[in-house]
Amino acid sequence: MSIVQVKGGGGGAVGLERTSFVGARVPPEIRAMIKPLSKLDKTAFKKILKVIASEIQGIEQSFQDLQPLLGGALTEDVLATVYCGLDDLVRRALKLPSSSLKKENFLQDLQDLQIPEGFHEDLVAMVVGPKRPLIDSHLEDRRPRLPSLENLSWRADVAISTGVLNRVLVRGVTMEMTLSDGSIKDFEMTVSKFQELRFHVASVLSEMEKLEKHSILKIKD
Amino acid sequence: MLFKEVWPVSVDLLLRSIKKAVMLINDMDVNRFPLLLSRILQKLHLKEERTFSEEEEEKLQTAFGFSSNDLDLVLETLEFILQQAAYHTAKPAVLGEQLKQLEMNDDKVEKIVEAWTNGARNLVQKLKERTVHPNQLEEVKWRLNLQMAQASQSKVKRPNALFQLSVRDDSSGKKENIRLEFTHEELYEFYNQLETIQKQLDSLS
Repeated sequence: MSIVQVKGGGGGAVGLERTSFVGARVPPEIRAMIKPLSKLDKTAFKKILKVIASEIQGIEQSFQDLQPLLGGALTEDVLATVYCGLDDLVRRALKLPSSSLKKENFLQDLQDLQIPEGFHEDLVAMVVGPKRPLIDSHLEDRRPRLPSLENLSWRADVAISTGVLNRVLVRGVTMEMTLSDGSIKDFEMTVSKFQELRFHVASVLSEMEKLEKHSILKIKD
Repeated sequence: MLFKEVWPVSVDLLLRSIKKAVMLINDMDVNRFPLLLSRILQKLHLKEERTFSEEEEEKLQTAFGFSSNDLDLVLETLEFILQQAAYHTAKPAVLGEQLKQLEMNDDKVEKIVEAWTNGARNLVQKLKERTVHPNQLEEVKWRLNLQMAQASQSKVKRPNALFQLSVRDDSSGKKENIRLEFTHEELYEFYNQLETIQKQLDSLS
């Protein structure tokens, strides 16, 4: 769905057929923050943004980190409103891949939202700056997923003899898999079962490579 | 000699048991003998299962005119003979010779050698497959996905592969499904490890 945005004044580009990164409608959290944000001083803004950035990257923050900012016009209520609004704004910006959200468009959207110009630089640095890949990689790591294979210990051996058969001479593979959820799975397999596993893994790899070359992945959106 | 291998019973007692069993075997009706032997051979590789159900054993007692103890002795001895033949992968001729030395009648010897000749390969194969490690990989299933988005990221387009390895516990019969997820990199790493294992297997053959 696209919305025709006609930009008034301020020498900006006419953004036809493009939706702001916050969505078609300005979310209430962001709307509520605009007025108090305009009265906020730059140091307080930088500090709040820093706390938000750390939270997004998985470093837990506490209220004490923000408490020193309180005083005068900046009450707890105002702080909460600004924090929630900024957090929502930043997360929405980070949700789009950096290839999708161009710097000029981002700046235009910030202007449309009436974010004070002095704050633009810091926001841009976070969303399209050098630290962005780090944030993206962290968001990727935190996705819901099945356990991954953390470690594979294995053994290939030949059974020479058993209690029931003097000459066996059968090869086998034993594996011990440590998964990312901490569980350890150990099991054995015949050589033919091993070949089957190897074949499946190779097939999936080749399918994956085909998929990555597929045009659907090349669409730039 | 085939039957003087290590066994947790004194050899003397063993030989006496065998001698008694041979006498009982010699008296058996030879017509029903082959069926008995083929059932024993069929079940020999299984660890826990009874060769004959209680009902079947009662029928056998009647059919051969054996007491419960005598039937047990005959069945155990036949099982023992075939187990030993399997253990050494004995040639049928050798087996025949050894049985004659125990003073078993020719007609019974012939039947046992015949059953062994027919069933040996299958039995040895099954015994080869018997392992000490209970968990065996039985089945590999997979699914290739393309992740499109998540709560914190839209327009993702991230390929990932899900694998399900079915492992059966031989002793309890329970089946466990190990579910794993791989990114392209993770799968490539796994693949390299499998290649290394293959090289090792090649050097062992």
